[in-house]
Amino acid sequence: MQGYNVIEVEHLTKKFGSFTAVDDISFEVIRGEIFGFLGANGAGKTTAMKMLTGLSFPTSGKGMVAGYDIWTQSELIKKNIGYMSQKFALYSDLTVRDNIEIFGGIYGMERHDVRRRAVELMDRLGFMTEKNERVKDLPQGWKQKLAFLVSIIHNPEIVFLDEPTGGVDPAARRQFWELIYDVVDSGITAFVTTHYMDEAEYCNRISMMVDGRIDALDSPSALKKRFGAVSIGEVFDILARGAKRSE
Amino acid sequence: MSAFRYLIIKEMKQFNSNRFMPVVLVLLPVVLMLFVPLLANMEIRNVRLTIVDHDRSGTSARLVDRISRSDYFRSAGTCDTYSRAMDMMGMGRTDIIMEIPAGMEKRTGRGEQVEIFIAANAVNSTKGSIGGGYLSSIVSDFSAELAADSGTMSAMPLKVTPRFRYNPHLDYKLFMVPAMMIVVIILIGGFFATMSIVTEKETGTIEQINVSPVRKRDFIFSKVVFYGFLGIIAFTLAFLIGHFVYGLAPHGGLPELYVGAILFLIFMAGFGLLISNYSDTLLQSVFLMLFFVLIFMLMSGIFTPVSSMETWAQYLTWFLPTTYFVNILRAVCLKGSQFQDLTFNYVMLAVFAILINIVAIVTYKKQR
Repeated sequence: MQGYNVIEVEHLTKKFGSFTAVDDISFEVIRGEIFGFLGANGAGKTTAMKMLTGLSFPTSGKGMVAGYDIWTQSELIKKNIGYMSQKFALYSDLTVRDNIEIFGGIYGMERHDVRRRAVELMDRLGFMTEKNERVKDLPQGWKQKLAFLVSIIHNPEIVFLDEPTGGVDPAARRQFWELIYDVVDSGITAFVTTHYMDEAEYCNRISMMVDGRIDALDSPSALKKRFGAVSIGEVFDILARGAKRSE
Repeated sequence: MSAFRYLIIKEMKQFNSNRFMPVVLVLLPVVLMLFVPLLANMEIRNVRLTIVDHDRSGTSARLVDRISRSDYFRSAGTCDTYSRAMDMMGMGRTDIIMEIPAGMEKRTGRGEQVEIFIAANAVNSTKGSIGGGYLSSIVSDFSAELAADSGTMSAMPLKVTPRFRYNPHLDYKLFMVPAMMIVVIILIGGFFATMSIVTEKETGTIEQINVSPVRKRDFIFSKVVFYGFLGIIAFTLAFLIGHFVYGLAPHGGLPELYVGAILFLIFMAGFGLLISNYSDTLLQSVFLMLFFVLIFMLMSGIFTPVSSMETWAQYLTWFLPTTYFVNILRAVCLKGSQFQDLTFNYVMLAVFAILINIVAIVTYKKQR
């Protein structure tokens, strides 16, 4: 399976003092899939993601992301991944177009490539009329679409989306998932954390994190069958019953 | 095109879209340079003087008249006794009391020594000592005149006539203006840089930068270069006001001033970034910055001379880069000194600028 996996993690652990935020997790993410990373608040999703994106070092364990080692090659990983933070993290005092061009440039793209890609992406999201508007004046759903767009501007191998649909209405959430499908179709692997259980159904495979451990990992239909549940939400309830960490 | 260029473009666009910063950039040097040196100075005027004249003679009247003609003193009335005058001082209605003893005219006529008593309120020590100094110099001038009139030259065998070089009129403004130029650089170069990084932390944009392949030295340098550039603009404004309004740096010395200013700006920006590495919120960073900046400003001879500090504290000033910059500014602006006269100061300033930026880069963590 080597060449097919864009992420391979073995026994990854992160401790903060005596608190074990991520407890010995192992999993793979297959190229071209949408991998759902589910768990309650505080289960360790964001901590795990930060180790994969090179924002923090693990306490122990091994990990390869896009073919690079998370211990020694984090700067190479950063070239090949996109990241959309839970908290909106673009420059809200700049315009839509400035944000796209600046982040494109930061990823080392040529000037004309950045321009071309910016126009292409803005067109795809229907941002052309708002391109000179300041980001802070955009509605929440648009901001999130823009953040997503910026995270894939450099055509990364994997895009990490940390609760990308938080605070967005159901219609906008559906649109956002259409966008994710679009991007995955173009060959980018998506690694998505969420706590909306209905969204989990959109993923190819999902992992369920409870108390820092991955308690289940499979396709949504296989998980439902295994736990005899009608929905992923129900599967989650069964698993979360054993949780010791409260929110 | 390198990431660095885009980071600079980003800073420029952010600065442009900000309504507050460009105004501060211009207003700060203008207000500090135009008003502060004119208003906040150590010159003492309108010292309130109470005279206790026990002599009531022609000579004492001439002395009082001489004093009242000077700009420095304003009469707060006369009293019959010293103790009544002290009561006035106690109530804060007068600053200095001068007591003229009875029989002054007669005794000076005979060529005898007469003691005139001066009591100054030193709650405000500058006002007290400088006011007392002015008064005694007027009195001694007067006594020299008396001696000359009566032909007894022996009363004043030695006379000191000081000439104050480089600031002939002992104008405090000329001392103050270079100090204000430093304050301008500290505020623009230091505070702006810190605030911009900590704002990126608070809004989370720094995370988006940290997951990108931007090298941390590029990120830090983009801040140092951009805020250094703003600092140069502010310094230029301050210098123009200093030159045309206060007649500072009549001998030129622009290269000396700008090399000093650039080195100091690089230091300040690096220092600001170091502070921001250790603060998570804007409030934290501003307080930390203020703490160090106050030490920089008050301990390094910007406002008060280093030579009048305790010996151990004088050694301390060696570790404050502001000391070297203020030396350069004063020497160039007032004396017209050149590079070769100030080599040590430039070298020290450069050492500080390089060291602090290395520390700032090392302590900036993209990954924790």
